[in-house]
Amino acid sequence: MSRGGRGGGRGGRGGGGGRTIGANQTPFQVAADIVFDGKPSELFPKYDVPLAPALSKKDERQVSYFLLFREQCHDGPLYTQARTWTQGLGKTQRTYGQDQINSRYGQTSKATVDPFLAVPTYSQKFIQPERTLPDLESRPFAKEFFPPELHATLDGDDGPANKRRRTGPKSLALSHITSLRTAEELFLPEGQQSYDKALQVLDTIEKIGEDLGFLSGEDDDDWVKHRDEDDDGDANPEEDNDEYDDESGDDYNAEQYFEGGDDDDDYGDDDDGGAGEF
Amino acid sequence: MLVTKYLAELCSLLIDDLYGELPSRIFAALLLRGRSSLPELCNYTSMSARQLRHGLAVLHQHNLLFYQVDSYNGVATYEANAEHAYNLIRAGKILEMIDTSFGAPAKDVMQSLLLSGQTRIGDLVAAYQDKIDHVNKAAKAVKDETSEWDEPNGTTDETVAEKRPDLAVKSTNQLNAVICRLVEAELIDVVHSKTFQTSFDIYKAVEKEVMDTHFPGGPRGGKAKVELQQKVAEGLRKVRDESKSLKRKLDQNGTQAKRRKLLFSGGPSNGVKDEHEEADSDPVLDSKQVIRINYEKCLVDLRNRRLVQFATDMIGPTTAYVYGVFLGLLTKRVSRCRLDPEIDITEDDSQGRGYVTTDEILDNLKTSIDLSLGLGKAPRTEISSKAAEKILEDPPKKRRFIEEAEVDGNASADESDDEGGSDTDHSDSDHDHKGPATNGTKVKFADSAKEQRLDRPALLRQHLLLLAESTQRFVRHCGHNDWTVDFVPLMRTMRESELDVVIERTSGREGLRLVRILRSKGKLDEKALPNVALMRKAEIQQKMLEMQTAGFVDIQEVPRDNKADVKKSFFLWFCDSDRSLRRLLDNSYKTMLRCIQVLEVLRQKDKDVLMLTKRSDVRGQEKDVMEKVYYDRYSRFLANEKKLFAQIMRIDDLVSLIRDY
Repeated sequence: MSRGGRGGGRGGRGGGGGRTIGANQTPFQVAADIVFDGKPSELFPKYDVPLAPALSKKDERQVSYFLLFREQCHDGPLYTQARTWTQGLGKTQRTYGQDQINSRYGQTSKATVDPFLAVPTYSQKFIQPERTLPDLESRPFAKEFFPPELHATLDGDDGPANKRRRTGPKSLALSHITSLRTAEELFLPEGQQSYDKALQVLDTIEKIGEDLGFLSGEDDDDWVKHRDEDDDGDANPEEDNDEYDDESGDDYNAEQYFEGGDDDDDYGDDDDGGAGEF
Repeated sequence: MLVTKYLAELCSLLIDDLYGELPSRIFAALLLRGRSSLPELCNYTSMSARQLRHGLAVLHQHNLLFYQVDSYNGVATYEANAEHAYNLIRAGKILEMIDTSFGAPAKDVMQSLLLSGQTRIGDLVAAYQDKIDHVNKAAKAVKDETSEWDEPNGTTDETVAEKRPDLAVKSTNQLNAVICRLVEAELIDVVHSKTFQTSFDIYKAVEKEVMDTHFPGGPRGGKAKVELQQKVAEGLRKVRDESKSLKRKLDQNGTQAKRRKLLFSGGPSNGVKDEHEEADSDPVLDSKQVIRINYEKCLVDLRNRRLVQFATDMIGPTTAYVYGVFLGLLTKRVSRCRLDPEIDITEDDSQGRGYVTTDEILDNLKTSIDLSLGLGKAPRTEISSKAAEKILEDPPKKRRFIEEAEVDGNASADESDDEGGSDTDHSDSDHDHKGPATNGTKVKFADSAKEQRLDRPALLRQHLLLLAESTQRFVRHCGHNDWTVDFVPLMRTMRESELDVVIERTSGREGLRLVRILRSKGKLDEKALPNVALMRKAEIQQKMLEMQTAGFVDIQEVPRDNKADVKKSFFLWFCDSDRSLRRLLDNSYKTMLRCIQVLEVLRQKDKDVLMLTKRSDVRGQEKDVMEKVYYDRYSRFLANEKKLFAQIMRIDDLVSLIRDY
């Protein structure tokens, strides 16, 4: 069946079967023996979705070790907050040039805060504040292998001069490396069934914490001291929560009016309970 | 390492996942822009210098940077270390490997090292001491409490008992021993002044030094150039070996053999008493030294595991076990999977002898392994001991493409040739005697247990011969009792077989068949292919086009004359395995990248639940505290996350096979 003339092909829709193409139906030349299949294509053609085989025991172990490693990384002093540009996920992913890439970051300013979560609630005291800058001064470094321009940063001297915090020997903070292992005790490699066990461990830890508290009462116990240290760090979260551009130091900051130290101190000081950390 | 777009994205996402956003942003900018200084980075990322300094410090602490300080103005320029960034995905694998081969304490130490990046030994020891003290004190406090109050509190006691073994490293002595062990295995190496220079910088510096001292006027003539190259290689090797200084020191102490004996007798998880004995013989390490994980050697061990897995699939578990022991012995002195063409141009003496004797393997086999398993029985008359025990002294030559078919033909002829009277046959008469004898005993080995044990060396030999005989050439029989592995051709075989699997999955058996035909024939004319493949022309055309799109085959147009008339020219199909592998590699990066992105979307979807689980009062007791609906969502997310990471690690298996092994 061959139709001449422009647009003639439209009438044949749904007719099914193959048909040849008229000479001037297409802008390009079509060989005479080519036959087009006029049927509409299937909306959802059958597709064989390849399924990955189930995890072997070795796989499971590897994955759980990796996840544990990640968990410990996140617990460490060098971890900075998770990405800030997740809001853009629904929007276009494509970027042209560095400027657009840069503009995706740092969107968690006070202007973009979620109004449903912005009202202070009691449970917010359990949320650990995220750092925007790593806590470099809390651990020792092998400084001779760092370029000289980073040395001050490693000492924690980098930043506005009046913001210098911790002074004293660094060996205090050493336990940070190993304190990560709390995660290990909770996330045992067995995965799901380990929760009961983890709970048990948790109970013991809690108990130990309490016991230490009233039994010994000694302040020079470095575990307790270490916790005090941590509380110190948490007590001024507004420093950590500074946005990227906090070079300006103590300039007048209108937003600080709402997030001023008073509110935060209320939360921070309560945080002495045994279970707080774990 | 060639950093493609997908690899760059993958690396920065990995860093984002593990270390946070700040370092990841800087790393991405460094990958995109190449070597840059701090002000340049400021310009690129529009971050403040303070943030950049913090981020760079974190990156550097985790060994993800190279840097070079300009001697004139003291400005440092930074460069991304994409290799280490990619290796982050292997953390799980490496830890698992160390856990199985060195035991839990070693894994714990390695994990601490991975977490803290480059670390001074003193700091590490102090940190462990802190932890040990803390646990001891806590345990003591609980104990005191229970005895003082005399409560019938069974659970506390139990948990105290439970808690003690939780601590993987029990004393600093043990820690020292574990570090020594890992250093000896080269899994940990020492950070030195040149660790953080790129290989190019080191090359330039060494070359300049050699030029200045030996060839002040520049090298003249071909001979001098070769000499220069050798001198440079020597210098480079010296730099490279600097990271092994700690290992050398330990080796010189000479206690290694004794210690190893102890280690093997006790197994990795021996009792405390044994550990003390062991620890006593270890020298106390210099606490000033800075150590870090050595990924190169980890890769060698991972490759061994991979080969063992391959042997298990191809032959059987017992043989694979023997192979594993053998590989462990062979690669003790191999510090990297692939030789550096610039450094290893001459025969490397440091690698030592490249073979292992049968007796050594036998000494290291566990006696609990029944070697008689996994061996078939054949009547003596059907075994040609000469052919089976053939000794190949030289590694196989690198086959050229044209000769490939011929070599294959030869090999098959050899196998069928029962007399085996070829020139390379070095087996002596003594040997001939032994062959049938072992076979004879093998047939009736079930008679008594005693006889079976006597037979152990012979059985081991059978396993090794089985490995040597396989088409994959797992092992080369290089002397009467000596065995070695030619890693390069073996890995090529493995890569090819992996590629075959991929081709079969994407374009079916016909596609694989066509590719194999092309591989053996070289380039084939479009018109000749149907005849060779015995398939219809239309089918072939469709299949070939499909595979061309997937990148497995390609077509070349060769004009017949100057006019280059399309109708008259030849169209040759060919298959370039290397190219397909490169393409496969990049696709793998892309797949891994997508996996991480999917994970991010999942996280976004369950954001409310995840935020809840991060709260300190929920963490660790999710099941009790959370509502069921929420908990279900959480556990579903965890399952998905696990699956995605498992997928990533499986793809990494492929990547490491193609790129690193």
